[in-house]
This record gives sequence, C-alpha cells and structure tokens, in this order.
Amino acid sequence: MGLVEILVLATACGALALTVWLPQRAVRAVAGLWLAAALFVGMRAWLGPWPAAGLGATLAAAGALRLPERLLRRIAFALPSLVLLTFVTTLLMYLAPGNPFANERAAPPEVEQALRAQYGVPESATAFFAIYVQRLALEGTLGPAIKVQGRAVEDLLLPALPVSLSLGLLALLLAVAIGVVLGVRAGLRPGSAEDLSNMGLALLGISLPNFVIGALLIIVFALQLGWLPVAGWGGYPHLAMPVLTLALPYAAIIARLARGGTIEVMQQDFIRTARAKGLPERVVVMKHALRGAILPVVSFLGPAAAGIMTGSFVVETLFGIPGMGQWFVKGAINRDYSVVLGTALVYFSLITLFNLLVDLTLAWIDPRVRDEL
Amino acid sequence: MRAAGPASAGPWRQAWERLRHSNSAALGACLLAAIVAACALLPPALGLDPMITDPAARNLPPSVDYPFGRDALGRDVMARVLAGGRTSLLIGLAATASSVLIGVLVGALAGFYGGRVDEVLMRFVDFLYGVPYMFLVILVMLLFSDTARGDPLPVFLALGLVQWLTMARIVRGQVLALRGAEYVTAARALGASDSAILAHHVLPNTLGPIIVYATLTVPTVIILESFLSFLGLGVSLSWGELVAEGVAVINPLRSTWWLLFWPAGFLATTLLALNFLGDGLRDALDPRGPTPNGP
Amino acid sequence: MVRPLAALVAIVAATLAVAGLTFSTSSRDPAEFTFVNAAEPETLDPAHMTGHPEFRIAIEIFEGLTRRDARTLRPVPGVAHTWVNSDDGLRWTFQLRDDARWSNGKPVTAHDFVYSWLRLLDPKTGAKYAYLLGGLRGAADFDGDTSGGFGIDRGVYALDDRTLVVELEAPIPYFLELTSFFSTFPVPRESVEAHGRGWFLPETIVGNGPFVLQSWRVGDRIRLSPNPEYWDLDAVALRSIDVLAIENPTTALNLYLTGAVDWLPSLYPVELADILRERDDFYSGASMIVYFYRLNTTRPPLDDPRVRRALGLAIDRREITEEVMRLGQLPAHTLVPPGMPGYSAPQSGFGFDVPRAQALLAEAGFPGGAGMREIGILYNTHEDHKKIAEVIADQLRRNLGVHVEAYNQEWQSYLASVDAQDYDIARAGWIGDYMDPNTFLDMFVTDGGNNRTGWSDPAFDALIAAAGNSARAGRAPQALLELAPEPAALLQRLVKLDAAGNPSARRDALAHFRLELLHQAESLLVNRGYPVIPIYFYVSSGLVNPSVEGFYSELEFPDGSSGANLQDLHPLRDVRMRAGAR
Repeated sequence: MGLVEILVLATACGALALTVWLPQRAVRAVAGLWLAAALFVGMRAWLGPWPAAGLGATLAAAGALRLPERLLRRIAFALPSLVLLTFVTTLLMYLAPGNPFANERAAPPEVEQALRAQYGVPESATAFFAIYVQRLALEGTLGPAIKVQGRAVEDLLLPALPVSLSLGLLALLLAVAIGVVLGVRAGLRPGSAEDLSNMGLALLGISLPNFVIGALLIIVFALQLGWLPVAGWGGYPHLAMPVLTLALPYAAIIARLARGGTIEVMQQDFIRTARAKGLPERVVVMKHALRGAILPVVSFLGPAAAGIMTGSFVVETLFGIPGMGQWFVKGAINRDYSVVLGTALVYFSLITLFNLLVDLTLAWIDPRVRDEL
Repeated sequence: MRAAGPASAGPWRQAWERLRHSNSAALGACLLAAIVAACALLPPALGLDPMITDPAARNLPPSVDYPFGRDALGRDVMARVLAGGRTSLLIGLAATASSVLIGVLVGALAGFYGGRVDEVLMRFVDFLYGVPYMFLVILVMLLFSDTARGDPLPVFLALGLVQWLTMARIVRGQVLALRGAEYVTAARALGASDSAILAHHVLPNTLGPIIVYATLTVPTVIILESFLSFLGLGVSLSWGELVAEGVAVINPLRSTWWLLFWPAGFLATTLLALNFLGDGLRDALDPRGPTPNGP
Repeated sequence: MVRPLAALVAIVAATLAVAGLTFSTSSRDPAEFTFVNAAEPETLDPAHMTGHPEFRIAIEIFEGLTRRDARTLRPVPGVAHTWVNSDDGLRWTFQLRDDARWSNGKPVTAHDFVYSWLRLLDPKTGAKYAYLLGGLRGAADFDGDTSGGFGIDRGVYALDDRTLVVELEAPIPYFLELTSFFSTFPVPRESVEAHGRGWFLPETIVGNGPFVLQSWRVGDRIRLSPNPEYWDLDAVALRSIDVLAIENPTTALNLYLTGAVDWLPSLYPVELADILRERDDFYSGASMIVYFYRLNTTRPPLDDPRVRRALGLAIDRREITEEVMRLGQLPAHTLVPPGMPGYSAPQSGFGFDVPRAQALLAEAGFPGGAGMREIGILYNTHEDHKKIAEVIADQLRRNLGVHVEAYNQEWQSYLASVDAQDYDIARAGWIGDYMDPNTFLDMFVTDGGNNRTGWSDPAFDALIAAAGNSARAGRAPQALLELAPEPAALLQRLVKLDAAGNPSARRDALAHFRLELLHQAESLLVNRGYPVIPIYFYVSSGLVNPSVEGFYSELEFPDGSSGANLQDLHPLRDVRMRAGAR
C-alpha cells in the first residue's frame, strides 16, 4: 500500500466518523445532497441528465425536510460507507495475487496493455478506483465485466437480482413459518415431548452444512422419486428444493428464538391476567403470546436476510440457479474487479436497506424501540 | 443481578448449579469431550496416517481393519476424519478466540467511554454489518492464498474477522449497563484507572454472555469453513473438505456412503454438542442472552 | 391476527409472481438438443476466444474458410469452396462460394476475411490468439495501421470479392487447419464497428454459421436456432439447441441421468468413471492434451537435473491412470501426445524405475532422501488434480524417502505463483491448438512466456527456431548442425533436392526435416534437461444420448480406418435426433 492509498482510506474513514459530529441542520443538508446524487445517478439512464437532476433534487429536498433526523443520519452515513466499501474492496482485490487478464497461456505484454486500456483496469488500485467512481457517477454504469465480455456489470446483476431476491425472500418466509410454529409450540410446554422433538428437529437444521441437506434432497426427491427437477430455474417445481435447503438452517435458529420468546412472555403478568379473565388458551396464545414470541424473531430477520442473500451461492451452485451468488464468487475467483465491486455494492445496499426495514418494523410492533430509532 | 454487584462467588455458583442440572448441557459437554479426545489421542495411539494412499484398494466399505472404510485413494477414512476434526476444531477455536478478542475490545471501549467514542465505533460496526461477510472472507482468503500452502491460518483469520461484530454489540450493551453501577463509581472515586476498572470490575461481570456467545460461535465458524471447502477455498483435510468430497460421490449410480456418513456424522455431532452446551450455558449464565447468528 | 396473515399471503404470492417472471422461458419448452458446456463462454467474439466452451459454440454460429467434417474432423469446404497452395507452400489462394451469406442476408466476401484477420492481428484488439496468424507475411511488424502498407498488405488481401490470398513467411504445415480454427472465423464488420464490445450479444450479433444465437441468459443457457441464410441449410437438422452453463459435475450428471441433457462432455464426478465406462452411451478416446508437472529448475535441489529425473522416475504413472483416473488415459513419458501425423516420439529418460531413481538421488547427494528439504507440489483447485497430487506426493515419499506435500491454490493465485516461479513442482496441462508437435514444444524456449520452469537450453532454442522456419534452415547456422547431428544428414539431402529443383519432393522433405528437428527438441526435454515430468495423456470422454445421430466420438475416415477424436470436437451441423427420441 502506498501513501495515496493510505490517504484515501483515512479520508473515507474520517468522513464516516464525522457523520457522528454533524449537527442536526448539517445532517439534513448532507443527507439531502447524498439523496439527490443517488437519485440522479439512478435515474439518469432512464430520464436523461436534466430531468433526472430536477426530479432528484426535488425528491431529495422533500426527503431532507420531512424525514425524521435519525433516518437522515443513516442516509448521511450511507455515502461515505459506500465509498469506503468500494475503496477497501478495490485494495483487497489488487492485493490478491493475479489479475483479470492472466491466463494459462502467457500473452505478450502488448495484449495485456491493450486489454487494460480497453476495460479501464490500470495497474494501480487508486487509479482504478478513480476510474470506477467517475464512471459510476458520470455514466451511471458499474463498468464492463471482463470474464463475461460485452456486458456491463449491471447487465449481469439486474436479471440475477430478482432471482436471488425471490429465492431469498421465499426462503426467509418459509424459515419464519417453520421456525415460529415449531418454536412457539415448543415454548408453550417447555420440557414436554413436543418441545424436545421440535427442538431436536430444529437443531438438525444447523448441524449440517446446507449443501449436504440439498444433496440429500436431490437424491431423494429428484433422482429416486422423480417428483422434482434436479436443477435449473424454469418453473415453480424448480423452487421447492432450493427454497427448503436455504430455509432450514434459519428455521432452526428462528425456532429457538421463538421458543425463548414464548417461554419468557408466558411468564409475564399480562398473560396471567388474560388467563384469569377466562379467555380461551387459543386466544391468549394468538393474541398475546405470539407478539412477544415474534419480537426476537423480527430483530433476527436483518442478519438472517443478510445471511440468506450472501449464503445463497452454495444453493445456487448446487441447483444451477442463475442468481447473484454466482457473480460474487466467480467475480472474486476470476479477479473480475468490476463484478466484485458491483456485487459488493448491491449486497451492501440491500443489507443496509433490509436492516432499516427491520428496525422500522420493530418500532411498529414494539413502542419501546420507537424512541431509539 | 449481574449489574448489582462485583464479581463474586454467588452468581457463578448459582450458574454452575443450574448448568450441572441441565441435561442437554451435560450431554453436549460429554459428546464434545469424547470427540476432542478421539481427535487428539486416537491417531497417535493407533498410528493412523491420513495421507497413505493405496488407489488399488479404493472405496472399500467399513471393515474390521478399517472401521470407517477407505476413500477414493484407498486412504483410511477414520484417520482422515480424526485428522479433519483436529483442523476443524482448531479453526473453530482460533477463529472464535480472535473474534472474542476484537469483539470484547471494541465493545468494551464503546460501552465504557460511551458518547462519541461509542457512536464512532458503532458506526463502523454498522458499516461492517452491511458488508456481505462471505465476501470479506473470500477476499481475505484470496489475499493469503499464495503464501498459505494449505495452512489454516488465513482461514481462521478471515472467519474471525467477520464474527466479532455481534460480540462487540453484546459486550457494549453489558458494559454500558455496568458503567453506571455503584461499585464502578466507587472504584473510580478511589482513584482506580480506567483500564483497572475495565479489567477488574466491568469485564468480569460480562463474562457470562461472552462465554455463551463464544460457545455458539464455534459451530458457526465450522459451518462457514465447510462452505469455503465447498467452493474449493477451504483448508486441506478439514471436516468441511471431507464432507464436500463425500457429497460429490453420493448419487444413484453408486453410493460410497461412508465417505459422507462419517465426516458428516462427526461434524453434526460436534455442532449439536456445541449448541447443547451453548444453550445450557445460556440458561445458566445469561437467560435473556443471544442465540447464534446463524450459518 | 388476520390482517398480518393476509399480508403474509400477499407477500408470498407477490414473491412467487416475481419468481415466475424470472424463469427462463426456454426451459419450459426444451430444445431439441441440449448439451452442457462446462463453463459460461467468456465471449462469442472469435478474436477474443481462448477456450473449449467458446470453441463449441463458435463452430455453430460462425464458419471459416474451411469447416471440420464431423466424421473426419478434416478441413472441408466452408465459406471457401476451393483453394490452391503454391509449390513453395507460401501462397494460399481461396475461392469463396457465391451463396455464403451473413445471417442478415449480406454476402460474406474476401474483404470480410481481410478485415477479420487484420483485426485479430491488430495489437490494439488485444487478441490472445493473434500469434496463430503470426506466420503471415508482415504480421510481425503489423501495428494495426493498414494505411501505410507495412507489409501486411502482402500477408492477406482480397483479389476480388470472391478471392482471398494469403502469403506466409514460411510454409505452415497446419495452415489449412487454422482456417477452421475459431480465431480465423470472419466477424461482421458493420456490427462490430456499430456496437463495439458487445456486438455478439443476441440483439446485435450477425453470424455466418449453420446456427444463430437466439437468446443468451448468462449463468443459465444459450439457445441456438438454424440460420435461415446459411448456404447449406438443408443439411442442418436440429431445430433448436440449448447450451447449459453448468459447472458442478454432480449437477451436470444428474441432469443427464434424468434426461434433461443429451450430451455431457466430460463433466461428471471422476469417481464414477468406472461405472460410467460400462454404459452404452459413454464414449472416450485419446485427446490432444497432456498432463504434466513443471519443475522449478532455479530452486535447489531441483536445479540438479539428476534430482529432476529421479522424481520423474519414481512416479508410477500406471497407478494414476488405472487406479485413479480410470478412463483409459495413457501414461506419458514424453510431452507430445500420440497421433500427430508423421511424428514419432523420442525415447524417454522417464520410465518407472525406482532403483534408478534412488541411485540418481544418492548421486545428487541425497541418499534415501536424506538432507533434502520438503518439496511442495502446487496444483490449482480441482478434485482430479488434488487426487493426482496426493497420490504422487505419497509415491515420492514411499519410493524416494523425500518429504513431499501437495497443496492447492485457486486458479488466479496458482497462475501468479507459476508465472513468478514461486513453486517447486507445479501441475500443468496443455491443449494442442493445432495438430502439430510444435504446439507442445515451443513454449520451452529460453524465457518463453509459457516456459515458467527457468529451464534454458540453447540447443533446444536453435532446434525450435529452425523448425519454425525450416525453409530457411537450409542455410542453418553451423551451430545447429553441431548441436543436433542427426538432422544434419537430412539437411544434406535437402540441399541436394534444392539443387535438383523438384518442388513437391522438396516440400515433403522439408516437412519431414521439420518433424525431425522437433523430435530432437523433445528428446532434449525428456532425456537431458528434465524441466517437466509428463504424467499422462488425457482422454476426451462424455455421455451422449443414444438417439443422437451424426455424433462421432471416434472418427471414421473414407478409407475405412478410424481414429480418435483428438480435439474432442463435435460439429452439430449434421447431428440429428432419431425420430421419436423424446
């Protein structure tokens, strides 16, 4: 690492830390600026520069004035975060051995030079970072992919994103469904046979890597029974096994959280009151216990979503699914710098967004949290 | 209770009593001890060598001489599973240790000093929470791949690097609560330095949640390593690698099931044992504490 | 509780709907013929292709001056219907057929070839395979500027729309073969210039092969359909082809076993080789790929040729081919795979001879392996390479008493380590680009980009240089004659022939002389220098649906003889599915 790299790194870290000291008004201004910039870059390709700038500025101004300060502080924090992420990722990629143009057959140096110029991949990390950021800001593109020639990174990620998102969301919902049912039923009668069997089942889910579970599912349901297709992404039957495989480990964790939450909530005074009032047990559980049981589950949804999204590459490989996971692994292995940065930025934004949604949901369910947001 | 007084025998003894009477924790501890003992003692005792090949005697099912069978190169599966256990457990422990170290340091600093220090540190934790962790792991792995030569060091470094965030949050919460406790104020009034207060009064009282979370981090790390092995980025001769190899040979044409069954069985048993132990510890030490962050 | 439940159901429904939109439409309506391509092609621009996954598709959507006959893999008329080679072998004249058209209906002309070949040679294009046309007159000095006439205007030019002339610096025995190799395929100038880097995407591609690219969903599948403008459309039988980008061997095999795939080229768990070999739908045959280990000749103790040879002598290749790989691979003691026309391999200094190996090691100062540091075997991450490296490490430990450790690196790190010569022993494989021994030998010249062993032998360099330009070798430096005495006799004959002035006899003698030089060069590698240890020659193998006709896993020549499909090439132009196959 040279002096320039260290300087850029320090600046980005400093900017990140500085958002803590920003006074309220400055937060509104900075967040508004970031919002405007983000909206501009995002909409430019569709609307053209001027309408995008106008609409972006209007929306951003409205947001800066109306949104609560806590939220704006998060937005102010987002841009330096993205810059830091981009730069650190670039540095790590450049420090790793190899480069995107290396090949088993050595090409003459002119060939590598020509390709480096064509793709905008100079030999210095900082120079690449400069080109990358400039391209992103001015042209709104994530840069050309090198190992999938002829396409920009967004051309690869855009079709893959809905695949991964729907796969991940379905897995998350399935995990919540299985987990809450198992966990709540177990928690209502701790120590019972049902508790033991439910929790034993849940533990199995976290005891084996999911590629083992997936492989066993394929053997049974696709090859022996022939009920489901072995791999691919062409219809709803294709969804069944990947979703289940992806969901199981998280279902296990959610079951344990829900069990803990239920046990705790069932000891509370208001449950005793409700029972004392003679409400039927079903109502007590559905109306009162469930809300308490679900709180720890909701706060786990953020990390769970992040885990499911970034962990989906195993399932995608196993089931031959054209999702995002492949890009993030292939990009890193091929040293396809722009692909790596593009996936990192998309994942980062998604995870941050999802964490925000989870916090908002928590505030909606639990008034105590609302003040902290 | 924990926030109420300095570290004393009282709560710890209570916790120990609770732990002793927890069946699942006892079961977990016994299983774990058995597996650790097997991995550490059996190979030298029986003279097992996981690297001796004999391709002509490949894929033989379990027998008296080779109770776990032999693999595709005629190697002793028992020797490989036990050696793999050493690697996997070592990685689990080392990665957890490094995550505890970083997590406790960051969490304690943030919680103890509070204010801007806290906010800045937590900002960075928030930032890192947004970074896809597998991504960081893979990048760090690549960084070391040319010098590693199958050395597990980069793997646990990478895995430890992404596991400390939740630990930092937990410790911060605990320390934040303890900071204002009366005995801390008293110690400060007596002129104790910050580091002395942290080391003698605050941290010992956060030990419960730290132990619980650390116990639950070990299985997470072992699973993460198996994902890396699945991608071909893992360590040589770990359970993850053996399981990934075993999965590849399970198919309807021919199943050399023992290549998957034994490593997967050992892996699953270890993870179950660690989870049992972790749950038992939580019930004993920190009933409202965390559950693991998942694979 | 009802409202959240309803919301949940709505979310599930919405997600399922989104998922439905992302399904690949083509997989709901399977193609007539589906095959697994081991990887997503990096590009469909012939100038930038380098690998087999690209080759498989390139021959379907483009056609060169010649194309490969599926039955013999020999060049047969493609865009060119006739050609002549001059007596001195330096000038090729191709007559293009009148009805050769691009998929947009425009004719394929000689100018298209001139444009495409110059584009390949232009350093600014950054084509990795540009060197294949390096033998064209003026190609070496070509800087991409076509205006000044730097000699390239005499390397390839169009006499008229239908006549293409190619002039060479020296005869290239495999030149005709190059005209059906992907790098020399024509590219559509208009489309390339209008659309730049992504001209070959389905929306903008223009091709001239039997099929056209209908859709391409990265990470999923490529769909091909017949090219209505193809000059021999009547011969094209398949109505649609799906090319799947599956990289996981187990997944690929499962797809084949469930009938979702008709052709699976060599992507299945190696563990099942012996079972698969028993199946009727399995094929295997020799191929033009060698598996070998590079030795770092700059690092002690491997700087001692005796140590290098000892390692090579202590490896039991039969155990690798018969007990580990089990597909009928041939143990390799030399580097050039068998089957090169007219070429015979030299005697090799690498047999399997443990006592001899131990003696050599003792001679080098390491009796019984004592005193030798631990040696690492580097391989790139792959199941097969791991197995082989672990068995060889164990063999060397057992046979020589040396400490050997096999370790892996992922592809890019492996390339960087090998390139920087940061290894002791490194696994390698080499695929011949054309049917000639030179493609396996010339990489080991001193400081050659693909040498990577640090080995250097001036005699070897001289032999390779002379073979590269055997026409001028008639005036070969005296040094060469001293270094390689055996070709000298041949050379004497050559000089006499020259005097006699019989051109065709001279051409044959030259070709023979050239192969003799290469034979001598290879002999230096495996009898004197030992910078590499050959392990085995690959076989190409795969599974193909029995209903597929016109697929030749073994070549059938007009004289009734048969031969291996050395390049594992299967043009799909003439493939058809037996009626009622599905």
